[in-house]
Amino acid sequence: MLFTWFMLTGFIFLFAPQNLTSKCQLAFVHVFRWPLSIGGNLALTAQTQQPLAGTVSRSETQHLNYIANLEETLAQERKKFKKLYELYNTHVWEGTDFALADVITATVDGARNELTVDCRKTTGLAKGQFVLGDESIIGTISDVFPQISKAEVELVTDPTSRIPVKVAGLKNIMKGSGNNSSKIEMVKNKVEVGENVFALKKPGFLDAPMIVGKVSECNRNQKNPSLWDITVVPACNIEQLEDVAVIIMNPQK
Amino acid sequence: MRWFRFALLILAVTVLQKGLLARWSSKPDLLVILLVFFAIYYSTSDAIISSFTIGFAADLVGSPMPMGPQMISFGLFGTLLAYLHRVIAIKRMPYQALAIFVTSVLTGTLTHLLAYITKGEPVAANIYIVVFVTSLYSSIVGPFLFLPSAWWMRIKINRFGRR
Repeated sequence: MLFTWFMLTGFIFLFAPQNLTSKCQLAFVHVFRWPLSIGGNLALTAQTQQPLAGTVSRSETQHLNYIANLEETLAQERKKFKKLYELYNTHVWEGTDFALADVITATVDGARNELTVDCRKTTGLAKGQFVLGDESIIGTISDVFPQISKAEVELVTDPTSRIPVKVAGLKNIMKGSGNNSSKIEMVKNKVEVGENVFALKKPGFLDAPMIVGKVSECNRNQKNPSLWDITVVPACNIEQLEDVAVIIMNPQK
Repeated sequence: MRWFRFALLILAVTVLQKGLLARWSSKPDLLVILLVFFAIYYSTSDAIISSFTIGFAADLVGSPMPMGPQMISFGLFGTLLAYLHRVIAIKRMPYQALAIFVTSVLTGTLTHLLAYITKGEPVAANIYIVVFVTSLYSSIVGPFLFLPSAWWMRIKINRFGRR
């Protein structure tokens, strides 16, 4: 008889609406939530202290990440050191200082062509100083913000940029035309595509001619067909630059 | 039967099963072990009551399974084991382990079957493996847990024969 009554109770539970019976289950969990959570926490602690073979604990992961960060920082510092070593050991740059700067943003496609760079050392930085990227002139400093250790670089392709250059033995002014290119107008002779374009020496800013770009097009001037208009593209891929070097002539010791 | 001690024991084991042991994928079923313990060491009527009560406790913490299947299966096989014990004494540890294993397999299978038939609960593809592993763990651990259970219930298991 006892068995029958209990079985009947069991079947009542079984066929009762589940939303009612689940309330009983929830009520039990709610009443005993504290011991249940302690059990869960203990289990988690036990699992944390005894990790399975092949898994890495949290502290070990932190150490591994810390080492990875250090290794990456070391690699970057070595790269900068190598770059500075090469610059300082070039004869033409004797007595010249360089400020390495990381590129934060690069705008080369729109009407404005400029870089925002992060300089650790802003001492000696001034407007008009030339900026090197991959051993070529890419622009000049247009603004310095010493409070936030940042500077803006006006690229040679910016429409407001004007740089004296020499191409195929002819001196001229290179004007930025936006969209990652520059123009040299009214050149007397035709210039071959691929010819190097050099920035001219500028006392106090540049002591030796430096490559600034390459000729990509050479077309007759529309007003005066006896003259030529040259399109110049930068000598390096400015968009992919990670760091640049600012040339500081006659640095204050 | 000391019912108050029984209630405390079932409550503690239920919380333990749902809390501490719930984190492990493979674990012994402590409630089945207690089911066999009470079926072996107590009178038939006590065994029936305790079997259904333990089944009810298992249902309470069996979410998302519906309530009822475990109460029925625990009650049914607990009662059968209690009647079986009147004929065959299950005193030695290997037999106790075997009883736990068989009871665990049967209750596990019937529970899932009832839930599937009556409520349409989905059955996991590896349910037979889970039931088997749980039964195996229970049968290994179970006989060793009889001693502390007997101490708590204030019974001397060595002196107990058939009931």
